[in-house]
Amino acid sequence: VVDLTHYIAGPYCTKLLAGFGAEVIKVERPRVGDKMRGMGPFYRDEESLECSLPFLWLNTGKRSITLDLKKEKGVAVLKHLVSQADLVVENFSPGVMARLGLSYEVLREVKRGLVMASISNFGQNSVYRDYKAEEMQLYAMSGAMHLTGDPNRPPLAAGSRVCQYTAGLHAYLATLMALLRRDITGEGAFVDISIQESALENIEIALTNGLQAGNASKRAKHPFVPWDLYECQDGYSVITLMPARNAHRAKEIFKDPRLFDERFAHGRGRMEDRMEYEDLLRAELRGHRKGPIFEAGQARGLAFGSLVTLAEAAESPQHVARGFFEEIDHPAVGRQRYCGAPFRMSRTPWQTDRAPLLGEHNWAVYEGVLEYSYEEMGRLMAEEVI
Amino acid sequence: MNTLPLSAIRVVDLSHSWAGPHCTRLLADFGAEVIKVEYPRRLCLLRGSVKEGGAYNRHPAWFQVNRNKLSITLDLTIERDRAVLTDLVRISDVLVENSRTGVMEKLGFGYSDLVKIREDLIVLAMPAFGHTGPYASYAGYGAMMEALGGIQSLTAYESGGKPYRIKELDVTNGVAGACAVLTALVYRQRTGKGQRIELSQLEAASHALIGEHLLEFMMKGTHPPAQGNRHRVFAPQGCYRCKGEDKWVTLTVRSEEEWRTLCEVIGHPGWASDPRFATRENRIRRHNELDAVIEGWTMQLTHYEAMEILQRRGIPAGAVLDVRDLGGDPHLKGRGYFLAEGGRGESLFMGAPFRLSGSQPEVRWRGPDLGAHNRDVACGLLGRPQAECRPVDEADIGTAYDPA
Repeated sequence: VVDLTHYIAGPYCTKLLAGFGAEVIKVERPRVGDKMRGMGPFYRDEESLECSLPFLWLNTGKRSITLDLKKEKGVAVLKHLVSQADLVVENFSPGVMARLGLSYEVLREVKRGLVMASISNFGQNSVYRDYKAEEMQLYAMSGAMHLTGDPNRPPLAAGSRVCQYTAGLHAYLATLMALLRRDITGEGAFVDISIQESALENIEIALTNGLQAGNASKRAKHPFVPWDLYECQDGYSVITLMPARNAHRAKEIFKDPRLFDERFAHGRGRMEDRMEYEDLLRAELRGHRKGPIFEAGQARGLAFGSLVTLAEAAESPQHVARGFFEEIDHPAVGRQRYCGAPFRMSRTPWQTDRAPLLGEHNWAVYEGVLEYSYEEMGRLMAEEVI
Repeated sequence: MNTLPLSAIRVVDLSHSWAGPHCTRLLADFGAEVIKVEYPRRLCLLRGSVKEGGAYNRHPAWFQVNRNKLSITLDLTIERDRAVLTDLVRISDVLVENSRTGVMEKLGFGYSDLVKIREDLIVLAMPAFGHTGPYASYAGYGAMMEALGGIQSLTAYESGGKPYRIKELDVTNGVAGACAVLTALVYRQRTGKGQRIELSQLEAASHALIGEHLLEFMMKGTHPPAQGNRHRVFAPQGCYRCKGEDKWVTLTVRSEEEWRTLCEVIGHPGWASDPRFATRENRIRRHNELDAVIEGWTMQLTHYEAMEILQRRGIPAGAVLDVRDLGGDPHLKGRGYFLAEGGRGESLFMGAPFRLSGSQPEVRWRGPDLGAHNRDVACGLLGRPQAECRPVDEADIGTAYDPA
């Protein structure tokens, strides 16, 4: 994989490719690198190119080379690299690759059967093509923000960069589909991923109800009752009475008999008298603690949960028992715990390796893969191409 | 030419609710023959709580998540129906399920049983919390996982305020499931071997939504504060009221240049050189003051107008689009995003999440009524006797909402 990506969506895609065994060569600007290297938060607040936490997360398992694509020689070197690749992934603004002389039309002549994926905020054409966006704008323009938060307050941005990560997942999926098809037909493909369109998937139910039933979207509670966070003595519990066949077992947990009034036996009744039921439930929950009630519900087959902080998640008994976090050593930040596999494959297990230092693999790639001589390497360095 | 990449792939879909079906919907959209196996005694949640009059065949949400699929009804506690599933597995490439840990084994269709039926089968299990660990048998929906994973703790109006859900988990996990299946298909194409995939929805969503935040906690020992609508570094950033009911625009100022432009646009050119606002740090300190002035400007405009004015000047601005806005959005129309069933009639269907050259995304059909393909699959595809092919009997049906 020739990886021309930076920031979030593209790097998450190529992180997944690397984790499942692809040789990912990340092409970075000399001296500066992926712009994420310059963005915090940083390890020990050290603003160094090797200490950006999001960069360290997003670039595990890749190799890094430096190459200046604004120089003619740099473009030639890149084409040489592409001639030996299966896949190119990029997330420059639309039009940049063409200006560099590296459009899909050009690159597919360089390598027959090439798959190229272009990720951008709004896709490669139409009205918003050149619009600027950060995560908040993407969340807003993909319909999710309108649904997030309190109906009596403004829409609320997500604390996670969900739109860009979703696009990274879709890009991984799309490139594998294209590679699968290439192996059958011999034909490559161009993949156009709009982060906005990719994120529309996140509200597919609300959007479909809008398109087909004319429903408006609003910031509202979940339609089912109960299905929310409820404040308890030491935090918040997540309470549902699902699966419905186990709902009656809540009698063994909740003390207030009014919660089991005949009217509330079916979810429809609870939805009709939502206010009344939820008032009773809130009062009930004030007599419980989040850990014990979570366990008591689950022991009876009820989908209960509890709200945890990142600190609690990091020590979650489930994560610890399953070894979800893996230690990775890195020369600048030392041994640290990272999330391991996104899913567990029996024959193609996730491989964990650290993020590369800027240009760490110049020699390995230029000399080892492209077989440039010592003299050629010297010239490229002297001309600041690499 | 339209060559859908998965047109040679057959998928048995035992999943229900949202995450599993979303995974197989992506496979179906890109050409796989997805045969959804439904349990009539407890219908999928999205088929609703009413069985009378075929109400379960009228929910747009169910159809969206199950479009382009076939539906058969099977009761896997009955020998005859178990034989149908066995025959189906024998001619399928992939099986997807999201049952609670142990359920498939109890039914006699655990992984070791399935590979005896078909050796190179790809089996994707999507349990809520994984097949091992103390939560292995726990019931979970998005609401539990978002809270228990720490994901929800990041989204609140102010630090320490009540956290809100972003509700993306089912889709995130569905896409991750499809990623896993494709990983296995590529491997099978090269080696001829199938494999077993276990996707813990808690893990896949944590990976895709807060991997960087968990790493931050591990490295710094501090919890990133909930930011509301503000940015950790850039300022100003916010969500501002516009003309109309519940209409808003967001904007983010990332540089001094963008700040100077914003000052001009909102009619305060003097602020561009005002030392009180000269740096991000200063602007963060006086954010409330800035918000009031910015909102004074946005209130005079529609959310689309504000976005267009700001974007024309190069400032990241996004209207908070609701589903009606999206249905009529000029950009999405220009992209040909929305689709019509079978390519005819009104474009009332969502498009594909990405465009693959040579593969036109399609809604071949809106999705199946309950058991619509019982006969086609059991008698046609599997060649079982006609007597075994039963239509759906409403008396047998139960919904996911029926109390015990």
